[in-house]
Amino acid sequence: MTINLQKNENPYPLSENIKEAAIKGLEKANRYSEPKDIMELKELLGQYNNVPTERIVLSHGSNLLLREIINIFSKDRKIIRINPSFFPVTQYALKQATRITKIQISPPNFDLDPELLLNELSEPSLIIIDNPNNPTGKILINEDTAEKVLKNKDVLLVVDEAYYEFSGQTFASMLEKYPRLAIARTMDKAFSLAGLRMGYLLMGDYFKEHFSDFPVNLSTPTLFAAIESLNTPEYMTANVAKILAEKIRIEKELLKIGIQVFPGKANFILIKTNTPGFGKKLKDEGLNICNLADDWINGYYRISIGIQEENNKLLSIIKTIGKDV
Amino acid sequence: MKSIGLIVNPIAGMGGSVGLKGTDGKTYKKAIELGAQPTTPERIKKTLALVNRKDLYFITAPGKMGEDYIKKFDFKYEVISKIEAETNADDTKRIIREMLVKGIDLLIFVGGDGTARDVYDVLGLTIPVVGIPSGVKMFSPVFALSTFAAAEIINNKTDELIEKEVLDIDEEAFRNGKLAAKLYGYLKVPKNPSLLQGKKEPSNITKPEKISKEEISQYIFENIETDTLYILGPGTTLKTIADKIGVEKSLLGIDAVFNKKLIGKDLNEKGLLELIKKYKKNKIILTPIGGNGFILGRASKQFTPEVIKLIGKENLIVVATEDKISRLECLRVDTGDVKVDEGLKGHCKVITGYKSETLIDVK
Repeated sequence: MTINLQKNENPYPLSENIKEAAIKGLEKANRYSEPKDIMELKELLGQYNNVPTERIVLSHGSNLLLREIINIFSKDRKIIRINPSFFPVTQYALKQATRITKIQISPPNFDLDPELLLNELSEPSLIIIDNPNNPTGKILINEDTAEKVLKNKDVLLVVDEAYYEFSGQTFASMLEKYPRLAIARTMDKAFSLAGLRMGYLLMGDYFKEHFSDFPVNLSTPTLFAAIESLNTPEYMTANVAKILAEKIRIEKELLKIGIQVFPGKANFILIKTNTPGFGKKLKDEGLNICNLADDWINGYYRISIGIQEENNKLLSIIKTIGKDV
Repeated sequence: MKSIGLIVNPIAGMGGSVGLKGTDGKTYKKAIELGAQPTTPERIKKTLALVNRKDLYFITAPGKMGEDYIKKFDFKYEVISKIEAETNADDTKRIIREMLVKGIDLLIFVGGDGTARDVYDVLGLTIPVVGIPSGVKMFSPVFALSTFAAAEIINNKTDELIEKEVLDIDEEAFRNGKLAAKLYGYLKVPKNPSLLQGKKEPSNITKPEKISKEEISQYIFENIETDTLYILGPGTTLKTIADKIGVEKSLLGIDAVFNKKLIGKDLNEKGLLELIKKYKKNKIILTPIGGNGFILGRASKQFTPEVIKLIGKENLIVVATEDKISRLECLRVDTGDVKVDEGLKGHCKVITGYKSETLIDVK
């Protein structure tokens, strides 16, 4: 059976109670979602993030929300994007932007120089930044830099915190103070809801105005599963802990093998290897990882953390991959 | 059936094992004296063993330049031309010409940078190639990453092609411990992800190469300042800019434009210095080499430290297609003058389209 470690999914399936909730939602799938259920989810998300419900917008996947932000706010603003970043958003930004500046982060540290970012804010700008970054896993922006950015009144800052539960770092507490800050989140990763797609946006006042008429089109299975997930967060917390423990173990093992590993704060590992056809050799053994040569630089691969057995197989295959001559 | 030319430089790579930095010219004899063994047979055999296409018809050179390896496999093939016991670059070029007369869709060549140069001399941008790396010097990004990667490229039926640089290393300087290279030309290679040295083909997160070049040209064209000398470096992106301005650009040389008129072609350091001193306002437009990111010190040795000092960092305009720049870890400089290099380091704004730019480290 193929092992998929390329999409940063959670390897742990839904718990029984969450699965039952999703099935309950499926039984009601001939009807549209009810406002009271939507409100219940918003309230639970509000409690989870310590944010008022009116600052929350829901969607099937945070990607759609980021696309909407690009649609609304890029017409008279320059988009600032870090390279590399979550590629589908970069792709869409490139397609829609009237003007775009990419800031390239470089190995081995992949740090973002705050001054470089701040120097780019002389004109109205929309910054969309993954924090932690995908695919490097690096925290690129801290609260201090975010505050300096947000002091520019023509600048919007959108932080994609898709991996918040793994990094533990968020700007959610800044939303009340900074109207031009928004945070994109997902329950696809830590809460194991990738197949149901559950994204949301936490918004400062400026975004709230523009998203007031954004339609909520959540399917009933997604809605019910998300509610149950937030009512029983201990399942997510336990899975995140297991994933992070496995991540540390894999990083150590890869280093022992001699693979270059870049430490990050998400549920994946960035590695670099010069072994030709590394990704294909793993694929031939039934294990898929993300070959970043497709969208970025040759020799870089992103590996999502799987369950222990999957990770063991990964390590054993990598140990047997010899260098091509 | 696809008609495939196969040519092997049997002496490529021999110098490496005995500590020589190449096998061009006289060095080959020295390599033999030192007991060097051929490395190409193993490489071509490994690649051919992994080629699983049945629709290939090989046209190959005789003996150790191709026939000896292909005959051990089940491919359909024919042998053309003749060779002597000792072969050289002229044989490579002559036989490729004969292959062209026979008609080939793709040329597979085994060798190093010197062989790539010979291939470029005959083919230019006409027929696509797959380069199997076997040389001592492997600076040209035209080569596949490995024998394995070369086989993957051959197996993958794609008609999409991209241009890759052929870099010519000055062997005499190289053997004396100095790295000096110039851009020698471009070869077309099949578009294949992650299998080529250095940069690879356009991805879906960037604009197509052609559109990116057109946008860059339009932007430069609209922003040309009057009474300013523009010195255009080598490369196809710069050629697109020259085409937009309406002047004829030497693809690999350095040319100068003033008020949209060509005033210097294929300039050397002396010519550049004379022009820079003559005009009050000067700018250099450059593009990095794909894969390694060098903007100065590799493809354009005419931009000496003296030239750079006179121009000033603030008057360097770097342009590159979205795809090229997004695949670089950083830009690099190696002018030969540590102080000049230090002055160029930091961040650089690269124009990547009409309204797009990338900020990237210079190291």
